[in-house]
Amino acid sequence: MIDRIVRLVARVPATVHAKLLTAFLLIAVLLIALGAVGLRALIEVNRHAEELVTLQRKIAAYRQLQHDTTGQLYSVASALIVPDERTFEATLRQLNQFGYDLDRLRFVARDELELFGRARADYERFIEVVTHVVELLRGGRVAEGRELQLSQAGPLADRLERLTNELVNKAEADMVVSVESAQAAYVRSRWIVIGFAIGTIGLALVLGYAISWSLIGPVRQMEARLARIAAGDFAGRVAVANRDELGTLAANLNRMSGELGRLYEQLEAASRHKSQFLANMSHELRTPLNAILGYAELIQDGIYGEVPEKIRDILTRVQVGGRHLLGLINDVLDLSKIEAGQLKLAVSDYSLREVVHTVFTAMEPLAAEKSLNLTIALPPEPPTGRGDERRITQVLLNLVGNAIKFTEAGEVRIEAVARDNEFEVAVADTGPGIALADQERIFEEFHQADSSTTKTKSGTGLGLAIARRIVVLHGGRIWVESEVGHGATFRFTLPRRAHPDGALPETA
Amino acid sequence: MKARVLLVEDQEDNRRIVRDLLTSAGYELIEAVTGEDGVRLAEAEHPDLILMDIQLPGMDGYEATRRIRQTPGLTTTPIIAVTSYALSGDEMKALAAGCTAYVAKPFSPRALLATVRACLGSP
Repeated sequence: MIDRIVRLVARVPATVHAKLLTAFLLIAVLLIALGAVGLRALIEVNRHAEELVTLQRKIAAYRQLQHDTTGQLYSVASALIVPDERTFEATLRQLNQFGYDLDRLRFVARDELELFGRARADYERFIEVVTHVVELLRGGRVAEGRELQLSQAGPLADRLERLTNELVNKAEADMVVSVESAQAAYVRSRWIVIGFAIGTIGLALVLGYAISWSLIGPVRQMEARLARIAAGDFAGRVAVANRDELGTLAANLNRMSGELGRLYEQLEAASRHKSQFLANMSHELRTPLNAILGYAELIQDGIYGEVPEKIRDILTRVQVGGRHLLGLINDVLDLSKIEAGQLKLAVSDYSLREVVHTVFTAMEPLAAEKSLNLTIALPPEPPTGRGDERRITQVLLNLVGNAIKFTEAGEVRIEAVARDNEFEVAVADTGPGIALADQERIFEEFHQADSSTTKTKSGTGLGLAIARRIVVLHGGRIWVESEVGHGATFRFTLPRRAHPDGALPETA
Repeated sequence: MKARVLLVEDQEDNRRIVRDLLTSAGYELIEAVTGEDGVRLAEAEHPDLILMDIQLPGMDGYEATRRIRQTPGLTTTPIIAVTSYALSGDEMKALAAGCTAYVAKPFSPRALLATVRACLGSP
């Protein structure tokens, strides 16, 4: 249900700005309405309270009237008993007071006009009678006065008393009704206000929920999609129903994802083609070079007849140059294969001792040429390892070759240690050393430590990059420890048992 | 009697180098340019040793080796695979196909001769 509202809000073809503004305005209107309802209830309650006060005043006034009536009778009675001038004066004053009361009542007794009218008529009659009684008494006609008092003033006073009682009773009955109706009005108002408040809050909540989720939902979807795009997955799309800025954003995101995917495919294809081209090209280059080297060796070995000493020397130079060229071509081929993801390890059992000895045998003559001491330090019986023997030999050959190339005097030392799960091999030289800044860079492609030495020391600058890839493919790592002027030590580790296809957990 | 070596190799220069090397070392050489030729000549001539290039147009060295191994009388003939440096893992595949040994290109004629001698003994 609420989801349908969210979808409905999402599909409203209005900008986010308009939606939010509308929602806030709606909530503001509801609050104002709630205020108005509350105010109306307050006014209602207040009106009832005022009515109660009025009624109370009215009752007080009626009681006063009742009291005054009784007082009047009493006063007239005492005038009959003690007929002197002072008593007459007091009786007439009381009569006036009674008149004021009635005048005052005229303003409060709006609902009891008929009763009040009768009370007034009786009162006027009563005044006349009492005035007459007083006149008779003043004139010494006491018996006549008493007669009039008994026959007329008494019954009139009784009727007046009954009337005022009726007025009081009626006002009190009104009061009871008014209190009940005030109570009912209060309860009604309370429920209206509570109901309205709950409705307003509920509506505001639903509205807030629907609007916020119609915004948050798509944002989350897009965020998840972007995370996947960042991870290289361009295939998916976000399905956002919104017809606002977020909908446009999602459409653009989908377009961008598609475009990125297309570009990524193009790049991948281009990279594959480049690597394939390099692989093909270096293969094509090597074929004639193989022939040159093969023929040179046959000539040197005298297969085609006796070779003069001078030519033999030149032939050696041809072979050295040719092998160097072959090495460079092989480096380019290796790297292009690694980049194309084609380099697979041919994993088998190998003897670390044999690897080190092979490298030693191959490199010893080169070291001897420069009068360098090439030494080996191996554990007595290193355990059998599992990995690509030829590639591991290649790594060690590269490190020892570099060490010999850059060291002018002293020694190059190959050390290997076997630990529980890995071998660590080190090649230490007494060469010029490598500055700290270069120690990471030399493992990158096409880098040599000091570009000034590049001119005198040949090389593609790919050897260490290839060595690092091979070591990493085996699940090991390679690094250098060096200080300028104090030689360099290259170290690499190899897990004793490398994974067969070189597929390894991500290494940082 | 001279030992006879069948060379299966599609490249002219490589054939010539091996031919010059082995004939001067005293072997008799039979040459085939394609894998199909190689299988046919092996069945017809029953050489003492076969040098098999792996990268051949059409039928490759692995397939040719497998077929030769199925021929009666050729099941134990030494077959030396000449593998390409470009494709790591060829050695394993060559041995799995039935080759006795392998020489990786670029081969040094001296190293090739040493391997042939190790398989046949000096002529």
